[in-house]
Amino acid sequence: MAALEFAANLLRYAAPVSIAALGESVSQKSGVINIGLEGQMLLAAFAATLVGSRTGNPWLALLAALLVGLVFAMIQGFFTLRLLVDQVVIGTAVNLFALGLTSTLFRVVFGQSGQLVSLPDLPKVFGPFDLGMVLLLPLAIGITWFLTRTKPGLALRGAGEYPAAVESAGYSVMGLRAGAIAFGGALAGLAGGYLAIASAGSFAENMTAGRGFVAIAMVTFGRWKPIWVFGASLLVGAAELTQFLLQAQAVGIPHQVFRAMPYVLALAVLVFVGKGTSVPMALGLPYRREK
Amino acid sequence: MKDKRLVPFAPIGSFFPGTPRMKFYMSRLFLPFLLVAALLAGCSGGAQPSGSGSTTAEASDTGLKPVEGKLKVALLTPGSVADSGWSKIAYDGLMAIKTELNAEVNNQEAMGAKVTDAMRSYAQQGYHLIIGHGFEYNAPGVKLAGDFPSTVFVSSSGGATASNAGAFRFYLEQGFYLAGQMAGLMSKSGVVAMIGGDDVPSIRSTFKAFKAGAESVQPSIRVIEQFTGSGADVPKAKQATLAAIDQGADFVIHQANQAAQGVFDAVKERTTSEKPIYAFGANENQNGNSSGVVIASAIIQPKAGFVALAKDVQAGTYKGGIRLVGMSDSFDGVPAIEFLVNPALSSKIPTDVRQQLDKTQISIIGGAFTVPKDEF
Repeated sequence: MAALEFAANLLRYAAPVSIAALGESVSQKSGVINIGLEGQMLLAAFAATLVGSRTGNPWLALLAALLVGLVFAMIQGFFTLRLLVDQVVIGTAVNLFALGLTSTLFRVVFGQSGQLVSLPDLPKVFGPFDLGMVLLLPLAIGITWFLTRTKPGLALRGAGEYPAAVESAGYSVMGLRAGAIAFGGALAGLAGGYLAIASAGSFAENMTAGRGFVAIAMVTFGRWKPIWVFGASLLVGAAELTQFLLQAQAVGIPHQVFRAMPYVLALAVLVFVGKGTSVPMALGLPYRREK
Repeated sequence: MKDKRLVPFAPIGSFFPGTPRMKFYMSRLFLPFLLVAALLAGCSGGAQPSGSGSTTAEASDTGLKPVEGKLKVALLTPGSVADSGWSKIAYDGLMAIKTELNAEVNNQEAMGAKVTDAMRSYAQQGYHLIIGHGFEYNAPGVKLAGDFPSTVFVSSSGGATASNAGAFRFYLEQGFYLAGQMAGLMSKSGVVAMIGGDDVPSIRSTFKAFKAGAESVQPSIRVIEQFTGSGADVPKAKQATLAAIDQGADFVIHQANQAAQGVFDAVKERTTSEKPIYAFGANENQNGNSSGVVIASAIIQPKAGFVALAKDVQAGTYKGGIRLVGMSDSFDGVPAIEFLVNPALSSKIPTDVRQQLDKTQISIIGGAFTVPKDEF
């Protein structure tokens, strides 16, 4: 029973990073690196907060978060795919914009000097697990199946490796990448929404606190394989939880030592598993049809 | 929002009084060069600690006169005023000045290199009182005070003063001490916890007071201290609290700003009727939190400090110096620091605990007992 409790707690804590990282892995497989993940999550978290606190319905809140993530990803996609703007630059712009916009709107809606917000939680569907936790593993498996066992999945991976070949095979690279960006954005939105609704049950300015960047790191950590990306997210999440347990037990050791632990662990694992190259060859490169 | 109060370069910048390019000296990038330069110069003179500046506070001709027309007050905070903590307190104080004294007010977030510029531009616009909320505003304020003799510069904590510049500081440690004592008297498990966001001196000082309060009534009590590193990361605050509760903590106090909801929710999740767990609110009155687990709050009433200060400036009677604002200071009958029990949970507090707390509070207000606090 205690193990079940721990698993539920871990999933609840690690789900935002896991969901965002799964979306990001699809997007990166198609050759688009989404640096604006952090910003999309924050915007979605605020949307969920707004809808959740007004309606009291967590599902509507998640839906709003998903839509906001999708819309902002598509705006970002227009810049990267159509206008061929540098993916890192536009992503950074989205992050800055998101922090400014959500902080300003938070003060407009919840008062200039803020207040503590309490949001409706998701109902539990199975023991201590809610629907989000239950669907995480099937989602990771589903994405793997799509990428490795279907034709569009193969084309999508091709768009990230050698887009010209995919184009000559009759696929639209732009269409494939747009689809991947939309999927990644929707998951980023869900991740932000879940963060506010379930992981936190509240909103704070800049509450994503780097989770978007951690999610991008998890994609590398998991070697672009969705199942491994999911596993890496859980591992780092578990290290975070263990870190707090150790901090509570130890006396006299600076808390910074414990707080660095998950990252040290991630680095150590990378040293051992990080052999060979599995980076999509065309990652981050804009694609022009006529060359 | 990352709290910048920790940033160490403000006092170092003040080692070079009178340099016009203070903002460059205060940039993080420049710090190593500054240290090297200081070594090369053989530290000849100039290296006067900023904390010893109070000697300049002579009651000479200050150039301060009663304000004619509308009082203008500006506030600089190191972080978002919506942080439900440190910066929010100052903002509430500013709003109190606005309504009580019908003053014209303005505020902005300014830290690091922006501080001196922001202060100077407020002074040039004719603001009478410029409040910097943190010790890092102390040195720039005192430096600018010479250039603008009719403007008053005040920082929340800090050691340097001049005839028209100084510091004031809220003695929140008093409230935390009482919370600690209550936790020590009521804890069944002998374990209590403190959950912090950023590890900054002001938070550390309040935690020490809480610990001292708990140990004053239960010497063998175990006081868990956890820092999440962020006052905005709600899930981390929640997990840190859960971990502390798993260690047996049955009273939890926080300094987690906006992430406090995570602390309260974690307590709510684990509390049972056989083994009740309670939380304390901090900085503001959080007794009414929807979690229903906040048994009392250690709060700052910014009015007492801020309005009293602005009144002095308005009357032209400000003298510089360092003002400590605590339980014995009040404005309109509201003390600057209060320890408020949640009326909805007051039945859970035994009478002898209440009596002990009242006794401690009386000796704090009367001055018979001084709550420990750090200087920063």
